[in-house]
Amino acid sequence: MTDRAVKGNRLSMLSKEDCTSMHLAALETLEKTGMNCPSKKITEVFEKGGADIEDGGKRIKIPQYLVEEALRKAPKTILFAGRNAKHDIILEDGRIHFGLGGTPTPYIRDLETGEFRRPGKKDMVECTRLGDGLPNIKFIMTLAGAFDVPYEVEYLHEYEALFKNTEKPILFSVPGGDASKRVLEMASTIVGSMDALRKRPIFGLYSETASPLSFTEANENMIHFAKARVPVAFGPMPMTGSTAPVTVAGCNLIGTSENLAAITLIQIVSPGAPVIYAGWATHMDPMTSRCAYGAPEFSLGTNVVNAAMAHYYGLPCYGFGGCSDSKFPDAQAGAEVMMNAVIAALSGINLIHDCGYLAGGSVGSMEMAVVADEIAGMVKRIVRGVEVSDETLAVDVIREVGPGGHFLSHKHTLKWVRDAFMPQLFDRTSEVTWVKAGKKQIYEVAREKAKRILKEHSPEPLPKDVQQKISDIVRRAEKDLVRTT
Amino acid sequence: MSQQAVLDELANAVQSFDSDKVMDSTKKALAAGIDPSVIIEQGLAKGLKIVGKKFEDGELFLMHLVAAAEPSQKAIKELLEPEFKKRKGERKSAGKVVLGTVAGDIHDIGKNIVGAMLIAAGFDVHDIGKDVPADEFLKKAKEIGAQIVCASALLSTSLPVQSEIVKAFKAANMRDKVKLVFGGAPCTAEWVKEIGGDGYAENAVEGVNVIKHLLGTK
Repeated sequence: MTDRAVKGNRLSMLSKEDCTSMHLAALETLEKTGMNCPSKKITEVFEKGGADIEDGGKRIKIPQYLVEEALRKAPKTILFAGRNAKHDIILEDGRIHFGLGGTPTPYIRDLETGEFRRPGKKDMVECTRLGDGLPNIKFIMTLAGAFDVPYEVEYLHEYEALFKNTEKPILFSVPGGDASKRVLEMASTIVGSMDALRKRPIFGLYSETASPLSFTEANENMIHFAKARVPVAFGPMPMTGSTAPVTVAGCNLIGTSENLAAITLIQIVSPGAPVIYAGWATHMDPMTSRCAYGAPEFSLGTNVVNAAMAHYYGLPCYGFGGCSDSKFPDAQAGAEVMMNAVIAALSGINLIHDCGYLAGGSVGSMEMAVVADEIAGMVKRIVRGVEVSDETLAVDVIREVGPGGHFLSHKHTLKWVRDAFMPQLFDRTSEVTWVKAGKKQIYEVAREKAKRILKEHSPEPLPKDVQQKISDIVRRAEKDLVRTT
Repeated sequence: MSQQAVLDELANAVQSFDSDKVMDSTKKALAAGIDPSVIIEQGLAKGLKIVGKKFEDGELFLMHLVAAAEPSQKAIKELLEPEFKKRKGERKSAGKVVLGTVAGDIHDIGKNIVGAMLIAAGFDVHDIGKDVPADEFLKKAKEIGAQIVCASALLSTSLPVQSEIVKAFKAANMRDKVKLVFGGAPCTAEWVKEIGGDGYAENAVEGVNVIKHLLGTK
C-alpha cells in the first residue's frame, strides 16, 4: 500500500505576499545577477534553452519566462517508490515522510564503544538496514560513508550498500555524469529497465550547488537524471552571513534562486521531469563558523520558508528534521530534534531528512536515529491534530456513564484507545520501576533497540543474479576509474 | 598630529570595519613618515589584536574578524608592501602562509575565514584561491619561501588531493622545508596522519594555534 501519509501543512508564518516577494526577488536575481557555472555541459543546456551566457561562458543569466515555464512543467505529485511497493510514498501537498540520515558523515558514533570513528562500507550497510527496520523512517539516506574503498568509486560502493539493504525509497548523492550513468544502470538493473525506473523511481538524486549562486561540474548529474526522469532533489546550502546575506530571508533568496535555476535546467533538458523543491537557508553559527542544524533559524530557513515557497509553487519539497548540533544523544539532541522535526512536519515538508545526525552533520548516530524515529511517531500524531465530531465528542457516552462513573471499559474507549500514540522507546513507567530496571538512560535503550533491529531485521534480499550484476557494475567502475599510484 | 596619534587612528580604523578609513589612515601614516613595519605593528596589528580579543571574549563575531582582517590585508598588499620593496626591506610577519582550496572543489568560505584569522594573527597570507591543483601549492610555496601551506577540502571526492599535495612536496624535496596543514569538513586528524601531513585543524581558531605550534611560536 502506498503510504499517503498525514498532511502537515498547518503553519503559515509566511503570507502569500511574502512568497510573491521572495519569488520576484529570485526572478530578478537569476535574470540580473545570474549563476556562475564552470560546467560547459550545463552552460550549453541553458544557452540552447534561451538564457544569456556572459563572462566568457561562465555566467548564466536566466530570463524570467524560462523560470516560469519550468515551474509550470514540473510535476506536482511524485511517486517515490520502494523496491517493494509496500514502501511506496507520495510526495505532494504537505504529506510528511521522515528519512534516515543524509549525505555521508565524516564520523560515526560507534554503537559498541560510543567513540567517534571514521565509517566504512560495513557501517553504510548497517545504517541502511537499521533505517529499513525503523517504522517511522520512510526513505533512506545515510549516517555513515564508505570511506574504506578507493575514493574514485566511493559513491558506487555506497549505492551498492543502499540498494542491497533496503526496500524503501533511497535519496542519495552521486557526483558528475559518469558516476550518474553507472548508478542509474544499477537501479534499472533492479527494476528491469530504464523505462520501469521512470515509472517506479526507487531512488532519487540529491545534488548540491556551491553557494552563493554557483553550479559545480558535479551538478552535471542533474542532466542525466532529468533525461532518465528520475526525481532530483536539489539542495542549496547557503549559510547566513557567509555564503549568503546574514538575514534568513536573504539567505533563503539565495537558496530559492539556486533551486529555481536547477529546476529550470532540469525542465529544459526534460520537460515534466520530477523535481523536489528545496529552497533552503542554513544558519552559520557566528562564533564557530559551523553550520548549526539545531538553530531555530536553520528550521525557519530550511523548513518554514522552504515549505511556504514549495506550496506557493505547488511542488513537492525536501527539508530537515531529526538532526542536532549536540555531540551526544542527550537532552540538547532531543530538544533540537523535536524542534526541527515538528517544525518540518507542521510546515508540510514531504521529505524530512537527517534523522540521526549529530554534531551538525559531522557524526552519524544509530542511537539518535532510533530516538528520531520515536520522535517522528510523536510528531505525526501531533500534526494529525484533534478530530472534533459527534463520535469524538461522545455526548451520548458521557450521558450514559454519568457523573462519578468511569470510562475504562466502555465500548467507545476500547474503540478509540488505539488512536493515541504509543511509545515504542520512550519510558513512561514510574520512578520505582525505572530504578528497578537499572536506571537506563534513553540513549542506552535506543542502542539496545538498534542492536536488536540489526540482529533481527533483514529486508528481502535482491535476487542473486541482480546482486551479482550490481557487484559487477561496481567492479567495472573500479577497473575504469581507480588510479593505481 | 603626532605619529602616535596617527597610529592610534589607524588602529581605531581597523576596529571600525571600514575599508576606506583603513586605507586613508594607512596613507596618512606613510605620509607622516612612519616606517611601514611600525605601521603594521602599532597600527593595523594593534587594531586586529583588539578585535581578536573581543572575538575570544564573545563580544564580537567571526564576521567582525573577517571585516577587520580584509581591509588590513588590502592596506598591507596595496600600500605597505610596495614601500617595503622600495626600501629593499622585507615585511616582518609571524610567518609566510600559502592558502587554498584543493582542485575539484570550489567551496572556499572556510578557507577565507582561516585566511582572515591568520592575517589577524600577523601572518603573511598568500591566498591562491579555489580549485587549485597540488602543483600550484608547491609552486607558490617555492616562489614566496613559505613556511606553511594550508589546503582545504569540503568534499570527500576532493579530499584525496590533500594527499597529492604531500606527495608533490616530497617529490620536489620540499617536504622538510614546509609544514603542511589540512582542514575542511571531511578532513580528520586521522586522515592527515595517514597522508603524512603535519597539522590538522577542525576550525579556523584552532588552525592559527596549530600553525603557531608547528612554527614553535606558541
